[in-house]
Amino acid sequence: MSVRRDERERPSRVYAPDFLTELFRNPLEPGYAAAAQRRQVDPPSRWHSRSARTVTVVVLVVLGFLLAVAYRQTMEDEPGRSQARSGLVTQVKERERETDELSARADELREEVGRQRDAALSGSAAARLRDLEAGTGLGRVRGDGVVVRLADAPGDADAVTGAGAGPPRVLYSDLQGVANALWSAGAEAISINGQRLTATSTIRSAGEAILVDFRPVTGPYEVSAIGPGSMKRRFEQSRNAALMREVAEKTGLSFGVREADDLTLPAAPEPQLRYAEPSDNPSASPSGDRSAGPGSTDSGTSPSPSGGGR
Amino acid sequence: MIAVLALLAGVVLGVWLDPSVPAALQPYLPIAVVAALDAVFGGVRAKLDRIFDDKQFVVSFISNVLVAALIVYLGDQLGVGGQLSTGVVVVLGVRIFGNVAAIRRHLFRA
Repeated sequence: MSVRRDERERPSRVYAPDFLTELFRNPLEPGYAAAAQRRQVDPPSRWHSRSARTVTVVVLVVLGFLLAVAYRQTMEDEPGRSQARSGLVTQVKERERETDELSARADELREEVGRQRDAALSGSAAARLRDLEAGTGLGRVRGDGVVVRLADAPGDADAVTGAGAGPPRVLYSDLQGVANALWSAGAEAISINGQRLTATSTIRSAGEAILVDFRPVTGPYEVSAIGPGSMKRRFEQSRNAALMREVAEKTGLSFGVREADDLTLPAAPEPQLRYAEPSDNPSASPSGDRSAGPGSTDSGTSPSPSGGGR
Repeated sequence: MIAVLALLAGVVLGVWLDPSVPAALQPYLPIAVVAALDAVFGGVRAKLDRIFDDKQFVVSFISNVLVAALIVYLGDQLGVGGQLSTGVVVVLGVRIFGNVAAIRRHLFRA
């Protein structure tokens, strides 16, 4: 308001050379005023003004063109981005479905193979094979046993005091200890959150996640074990169970052991068998025996100077 | 009137031809549009002030677009393209606002 009054009173006021003020006050190109003055002094010829008008029209056409192109470009870019994202999402979903289908098919085929094998083998051999499969974790097993339940401490208990970095959590070593104690208590099959343990299973930590056989498991952790009736008593008398009870008491982790009837433990995925092969280098394996097949205890390669290569 | 028709003709041409902008020129398109808008609003204001001049309009349009593109290009080469683009948009935006305010005063006397 006051500025306007000032303007009226003193229209010829000279402003300080403040860039922004100048910008706001005088956005019009001074060239227009200069051109108008020039025109008054020296009016342009008729032809000259007409050609200038034509150029203006052309420039306006170009401007419209520019606007349309920019608009289309922006509109095209946007769906491009969201299309890429939704395309990726559909691809991920598709792959997941394919994986599910393929694993279901693999299960089917595995069962089929088992049936065929049972039909081909004699009764005692098939039974022995099934026992072996159950023992090694490659077959689904059912039976009575115990379930050990471990869970992280509730979050708010220690977060308030700020004692450490977050609430106490179950560590991978706890799961390892429980699994080992169960094995030594006579367990015949163990699974952690539905992941069957085999002779080659690993229980590791990666960051804050616990990986069982390289698949993440999240708390609460249920370690199910099938074994003889004395297993629960023997497990509870073990050093690991005592340790876990004490840890639970001190940190607020939950640790429970209960007997469970009719547990079903799933089969472990087919193990990736790795075979040792003799080195390809003939000088390194003087016997030159490359036929050492999987699992063959070929003594011909062991004395080779290279030490068997891989 | 002719000017509006020419503008519409340009839009129709752009939609009809549907040209694809080369990837190298794409960063300059939005800045060029803002610079062109500045020239247009300056021209409209001059028209309403009755001091419109064709030559002035054409020169200011072309130089605005070129200078804006040049600044963005320089910024890209120097690694401050985003900031310089923002600067160009702020300056041109302020000018557009001032011109539109003048146009508004002309049209609505307010």
